[in-house]
Amino acid sequence: MRGKPIRRKKKTFIKRRKVCRFCADKIATVDYKDTQTLHHFIVDRAKILPSRISGTCAKHQRIIQQAIKRARHIALLPYTAD
Amino acid sequence: MGLYELAVLFDPRLPDEEVAELSDGVKELLSGLGAEIVKEESWGKKRLAYPIQKLTEARYVFFTVKVDDGNPFPEVEKRLEQNDKVLRYLTVRLDQGRLRRRGEEVAPVVPSTAATTPVPPVAPVGGELAAAEQKEAS
Repeated sequence: MRGKPIRRKKKTFIKRRKVCRFCADKIATVDYKDTQTLHHFIVDRAKILPSRISGTCAKHQRIIQQAIKRARHIALLPYTAD
Repeated sequence: MGLYELAVLFDPRLPDEEVAELSDGVKELLSGLGAEIVKEESWGKKRLAYPIQKLTEARYVFFTVKVDDGNPFPEVEKRLEQNDKVLRYLTVRLDQGRLRRRGEEVAPVVPSTAATTPVPPVAPVGGELAAAEQKEAS
């Protein structure tokens, strides 16, 4: 880029490392009946929250995913938001 | 084999006695096929997250079952499938796969509620379910 140099305000962006809350709490399993916890891992549209957003590690994401799917089957959680 | 949980959703229009009768039927069938009933948990009528067969409620009953040999579930699931008073069912293994493969003593499922509610770390299966129950009630 030539011409006038544009002075941009330096963005102050603090990168916070996300920690898997199940690893932090040393929780090995998630019960599919525990909808209160599972609700934290679904978005408003009832989709499963990506681990990139929640910070859950791959191992626990799989566990949560399984639990959510089980909960959906017995209608404890919705498949879609209506 | 291991510890399993069978969840059954009954028609909400059935009277309490009939649900109890049907639950007893399921238990009898399970024990007849070599399974040991560890715990039965009833949530009563509960709102469904989405309608099933145009119904918005169901009666939730959970059975915790210990199976030593044989597999009762194909037969049990076949019966549940045929029964139109049953809206849904779900069979889940409670002990963990990784431990199972290593042939170690299987640990009961510790719910993630353990972090928020004071539950002893190595709670027996009964305690774990009771904790879940407590949570549900609150």
